[in-house]
Amino acid sequence: MKQLMTRRQLLRLLAAAGLGPAIAQRTVADLASPAAARPKIAENQLAPPSNRPCYPAVMRDGRVIQPERPLAVIEETEVLVVGGGPAGFAAAVAAARAGARTALVERYGYFGGQWTGGLVLLVISSHAREDGRLVKVLQGVGGELLDRLSKIDGAIVHHKPDQFNPTTDPEATKFMMDEMIREAGVKVFLHCWVADVVMEGPVVRGVVFESKAGRQAILARVVIDATGDGDVFAAAGAEHERRFHAIGLVHRLGNADRAGLESLRANGIKSIGSIEPLPAVKWINLRGPSTDCLDIAELTRLEMEHRRSIWLRAQQLRQKPGGEPLFLLQTAPQLGVRISRLLAGVQQLTYEEARQGRSFPNTIAVGGAQNAHHRGWPIPYGVLIPRTLDQVIAAGRCICVDEKLIEDMRLLASCLTTGHAAGAAAALAVKTGRRPREVDIAQLQQLLLRQGAYLG
Amino acid sequence: MLTRIATRLGQRRASILSRCLALAVAAALAWPARSAAWTSVLLPALSPFLAIGSGLAARAAGWIALLALPVLALGLVRPRWFCRYGCPVGLLQESIRRCPKSRPAPIQRRPRLGPGLVLMTFAGAVLGYPLFLWLDPLAIFNGFWNAGRQPWTLPSVAAGLGLPLLLLLELILPRLWCHRVCPLGATQDGLAMIGRQLRRAVRRSSARSQPISAGGRLPPARRQFMAVCAGLAGAGFMRHVYPRPSAPPLRPPGAVEESRFIGLCVRCGNCAQACPSSIIRPDLGSSGWAGFLTPILRFDQDYCREDCRRCHQVCPSGAIARLSLEEKRRRVIGLAEVSLDACLLAQGRECTACLRRCPFDALDMHSPDGGFSNQPRVDLAKCNGCGACEAACPVRPARAIRVRETALAHPQAAR
Repeated sequence: MKQLMTRRQLLRLLAAAGLGPAIAQRTVADLASPAAARPKIAENQLAPPSNRPCYPAVMRDGRVIQPERPLAVIEETEVLVVGGGPAGFAAAVAAARAGARTALVERYGYFGGQWTGGLVLLVISSHAREDGRLVKVLQGVGGELLDRLSKIDGAIVHHKPDQFNPTTDPEATKFMMDEMIREAGVKVFLHCWVADVVMEGPVVRGVVFESKAGRQAILARVVIDATGDGDVFAAAGAEHERRFHAIGLVHRLGNADRAGLESLRANGIKSIGSIEPLPAVKWINLRGPSTDCLDIAELTRLEMEHRRSIWLRAQQLRQKPGGEPLFLLQTAPQLGVRISRLLAGVQQLTYEEARQGRSFPNTIAVGGAQNAHHRGWPIPYGVLIPRTLDQVIAAGRCICVDEKLIEDMRLLASCLTTGHAAGAAAALAVKTGRRPREVDIAQLQQLLLRQGAYLG
Repeated sequence: MLTRIATRLGQRRASILSRCLALAVAAALAWPARSAAWTSVLLPALSPFLAIGSGLAARAAGWIALLALPVLALGLVRPRWFCRYGCPVGLLQESIRRCPKSRPAPIQRRPRLGPGLVLMTFAGAVLGYPLFLWLDPLAIFNGFWNAGRQPWTLPSVAAGLGLPLLLLLELILPRLWCHRVCPLGATQDGLAMIGRQLRRAVRRSSARSQPISAGGRLPPARRQFMAVCAGLAGAGFMRHVYPRPSAPPLRPPGAVEESRFIGLCVRCGNCAQACPSSIIRPDLGSSGWAGFLTPILRFDQDYCREDCRRCHQVCPSGAIARLSLEEKRRRVIGLAEVSLDACLLAQGRECTACLRRCPFDALDMHSPDGGFSNQPRVDLAKCNGCGACEAACPVRPARAIRVRETALAHPQAAR
């Protein structure tokens, strides 16, 4: 029998019969509705055309010149907080709760600064000891944050009534800061790096910041410098001193609960790290050399050197008996800059005064004791206020204390309490139409007490 | 003479009044209105027994020894004048003896220990260890008042028990202390005898008058000799045989060498009371039984201030030498020592409490592993053991940095 077609021909025919309609259907559909043919995602990816003006720097006589240019003012607010670390977070929440229109500018994508990004985690000096009993000096906004964290499983340890110096989980802290900022109604600008201030004569009127959107400005009645490094008051030309201090990098090890601690101890490793809320994670500090955090070459060098030594140390640990399950979970996103600029304020608080527990009529916060072994020390309002510069309040680790006391002041608890005070003071200054240095102290203290702060 | 005064009411009143006044002055000196005053040194310094004993032991006498001269001179001409009119312990004993109207004391049959104690003490002092200097009643009186100003703890109560015990003794065996034991009284007896000898010698040479009857009796020469031998042997034992730790306990800066210190110290409590930091405590055993109630330092609350030498100024016996401020700052009390298992900095906690507090810049931060762990490091050439680091350390209950005893804590090792 003569075959109609070979087996190979049959297969070709069948294949063509299948493909043809498929192609045809697609083509016809495309013809019928051209919009539907484009995948939906492509539409979202197409940004509107930019109307951003171009003012590139130019070479003139061998020098790089930035031409004069107008800046877009994207926000006008009453209180502007620069920096979203512990001080800036507390300041923004306090100012917004006090009824001021508040904006917050943060260079990274999250709040917490050294607390979460630097992985400091340990809230030292949350308490003091007075007449033999524990006194919680970290109250107000910061205290509320810790209390709210304690309602989340695995978010905080050592936060029971008879305990002090709690340690928080970084992600839980970021989350809770987001919540509190949102509830307070603060307008937030993340990924915005404040580069300069806007001056009108001797008065700061706002800040200039860089972002992916270019150089823009925000105007404000009062600016709170919670940058840690005093970037705002330094840019405005306020008197300050610069200090070198240790710059390190924190890292965390995972699988700590599976490591053989007994074997490690037998091999001379007494401890693999400090406690964190998550039992599988251990925390390791690195102090690092004392150097200038305003020098980008130093920052670059330290970042890479620290990461290398941390990697090598973690690998060494893994090679010890009992250390096999461990792994390097994370190095901190931010270098651990401890101290850089210190404001020259209208009042300086010294270590001796603090240790004597000297009281002030203008107390706006109380500092605690490491390990809660001595009494709290009142912090006067004057340490937050620049000597001559107006409409700026400093908060956090760049305020006016001496080189010994800054070791206490740079800790998280003190940053939270001075931040809270700065936020409340800024809101009060706006409400009463006074300069921050002229704020009525009694009113400020009443406001702080209403907001739950501890003033001794 | 006393009985004659007692018969005349007016004179008796005056006498009582003057004694009360003396007692009040003594108490005021020991317990001045101002805390940490230097006046507490005045009363014990009046005692010739204390001045001679400590002067012999230290082979030196400061201006404070001059205060004993009036009593010493009076003792030569008026037997036991100070006992009758000046000694606050005697006055207190007499007043409580009078209150219950007790029977006359049968002390005649009790042996006279006083002269023996004095001779043993002075003989021992020649070897640098005045054995019974601490029995001086004025030091005991001060000890009571000084202890009263301290917080009530076992050591402070123990340090103040001397005077109450003497008063109790007075109730049980009246007049025993004053007439049979008190070394200050016995010293005055001795002075009175010397005075008589002197006067006799003077009169013989000038007027050839009649010999004066021997009033105060001295023990027989054999006993005197034995007391001197016992004093020398005791002092030799205490200084060379008595077991001592290689490192002396933490003493106030300026304390003389340990084997002489526990002999020279009269336990008056002046130093503990004068210390503005309240770090001087009476010892209850860490320096052996012979060092009972001698001052030792505790740095749990405060430290030995770099600008202070009050304990030097109030020490009546020279157990704590009078150093210049510069010498005192260089005198080693002990040496700081870090316990890395407890230190917060060593655990990555960023604590720098001790580093910030050190007044002598003797602590720095040290990292054995490139910064992953840090610890305070003590510069032994700068540390003098002032205890500022220990007082500042936040670690409880035991501090992570403590001042340890060291063999360097010795006058010869001053820096």
